Amino acid sequence: MTLGYPDEENFIKFIKGAEMLGSDIMEIGIPPKYAKYDGPVIRKSYSIVSKRVKDYLALLKLARKELTIPIVILTYLEEFEKNLDEFLEELKSMEIDGVLFPDLLIDYIDNYEDYYKRIKSHGLKAVLFVTPTVPDSIISKVSHLSDIFLYYGVRPTTGVPIPIVPSALVRRVRDLVRNKLVVGFGLSTDDIREVILAGADGVAIGTAYIEKIEKEGVSSALELVRGLRGILDEFS
Amino acid sequence: MVKNDEIFPSFWYNIIPDLPKPLPPPRDPPDAEFSRIDLLRTIMPKEVLRQQFTVERYIKIPEELRDRYLTIGRPTPLMRAKRLEEYLKTPAKIYFKFEGATPTGSHKINTALAQAYFSHEEGIEHVVTETGAGQWGTAVALAATMFNMKSTIFMVKVSYEQKPMRKAIMQLYGADVFPSPSDVTEIGKKILTENPNHPGSLGIAMSEAIRYALDHGYKYLVGSVLDVVILHQSVIGLEAMKQLELLGEEPDVLIGCVGGGSNFGGFAFPFIGHKKGKRFIAVGSEEVPKFSRGEYKYDYPDSAGLLPLIKMITLGKDYVPPPIYSGGLRYHGAAPTLSLLIKEGIIEWREYTEKEIYYAAKLFMQTQGIVPAPESSHAIKAVIDEAIRARNQNEKEVIVFNLSGHGLLDLTNYESMMKRWG
Repeated sequence: MTLGYPDEENFIKFIKGAEMLGSDIMEIGIPPKYAKYDGPVIRKSYSIVSKRVKDYLALLKLARKELTIPIVILTYLEEFEKNLDEFLEELKSMEIDGVLFPDLLIDYIDNYEDYYKRIKSHGLKAVLFVTPTVPDSIISKVSHLSDIFLYYGVRPTTGVPIPIVPSALVRRVRDLVRNKLVVGFGLSTDDIREVILAGADGVAIGTAYIEKIEKEGVSSALELVRGLRGILDEFS
Repeated sequence: MVKNDEIFPSFWYNIIPDLPKPLPPPRDPPDAEFSRIDLLRTIMPKEVLRQQFTVERYIKIPEELRDRYLTIGRPTPLMRAKRLEEYLKTPAKIYFKFEGATPTGSHKINTALAQAYFSHEEGIEHVVTETGAGQWGTAVALAATMFNMKSTIFMVKVSYEQKPMRKAIMQLYGADVFPSPSDVTEIGKKILTENPNHPGSLGIAMSEAIRYALDHGYKYLVGSVLDVVILHQSVIGLEAMKQLELLGEEPDVLIGCVGGGSNFGGFAFPFIGHKKGKRFIAVGSEEVPKFSRGEYKYDYPDSAGLLPLIKMITLGKDYVPPPIYSGGLRYHGAAPTLSLLIKEGIIEWREYTEKEIYYAAKLFMQTQGIVPAPESSHAIKAVIDEAIRARNQNEKEVIVFNLSGHGLLDLTNYESMMKRWG
């Protein structure tokens, strides 16, 4: 969920509700200047909160206080590259569990190990992100390094329903991944069933919640959380 | 005797899972007023988009489409350039895959057929594209008619006027061909109002084609650069691998010319992915120096900026190429997979001048009889250089290149070159 979307009060209401309804991990997005791999819905949410939220870190602190499930921060390494250690230290001091930089293995592939070590050296978990254009050899090499789970973004951008065959994409990597595999990026309800059947361990949902909040409010978004939890529970 | 349908593959090959590094994905530009990735969804046939983004190593070629590939004469021949070898007194063996043997005279039909098939399967009745020199437009016109669809081709006005034969072939196949800028789209009308004698450009033609497809609910077919196009073109390399195997040959050097990279990728990637061949050489034009002067960065694949940004070696989308005869090599970038493999040092590159490739083409015509497209003559020049190197080092190498198209519709160009250089 985008930090502070749609406003501070409703953001807290949503994340608390989502935890209560069975979300296992909360991924919170800090708006970057250039959301390289995000689609129009998430981008719009970033632009809305950039105008409304004055103090991101204070809000994140509050979120940490309200949740007991792990919090993983999603943002782009490009954005924090210059003052990475301060940023990571700040997160650690707030008892945030981990970070996920979707551009780490794409734009920083030549020295991803250094960044990985830096994340770990601050006592944070490093959640790695791969896409279908990451070659098999690299997926095999990095999958077990990822903490908590390996995030597999199956579409080129979030929230845009580009036609793909999610099960084929999951099947291609499942045997290469020695870790829990969480699939995300534009998943429909049908996609969720398909990827779980193909071997995924979980799904990441963002755009769908933001769209619900935008159109129908937090309560409807929470209904969606309940529904999706139900789908996942069919398989447990 | 091995039958044609045993040489022609059952699957396309995608190199992405076998690349040495992650392929940077397409992006929307910062502060985009609309999502270009989302626009792809509206303009491209669904299955083509699905293949572009569902990255699997092998994708099955549907039976009906396979049948059409065989109908147009695939597999194309793998021939030995024996007289060229003799002329060069090289111990190397030279083979070439002759894509000029297709009815449209170039490799372009390989993806046009696939994209037309998937459009037809989706219930689409009309496809649209742009063409510069006319190879791609011709391929789309034939592919559309083979699946009982209409096609509309926006042809860069200067080519439309200078290459009436290309236009005639497209029309004979049943296509509507408009000179671009045209008066059938708002974009074209606006340009014509400002300058009725505008010569047109590939970027304008492309914008018109996309706009026309959007306005009429037709689908737009893509001619090069995108991964899915190279996927379809992999039939070239897969056939060549099988043909070499039947001859008992192990290739050492593989060579092809590069416009956007689809004939090169289609030819060389199956070899690279299956660890066949020792060296791979991509050949461009010295007049369009993308390899020597281009930067590896995110850029638009189209000069109109309607498609998503992709990371590639590029001279910039606004680069204005000089008017060289090899129209197909005037493109500003090189496909992302090809760019990455060049960056990683797996593929070497060469650039040659028009004069150099003219002499190479003439030598090839006089030794082998085939008139190569000026684009493909860039590959021939590199082959000659490699064969001479093999002679000097006394290496019995096997050199294989892709002769991406014939030059029988480029004779006016060759005539001009003959006048200049003899």
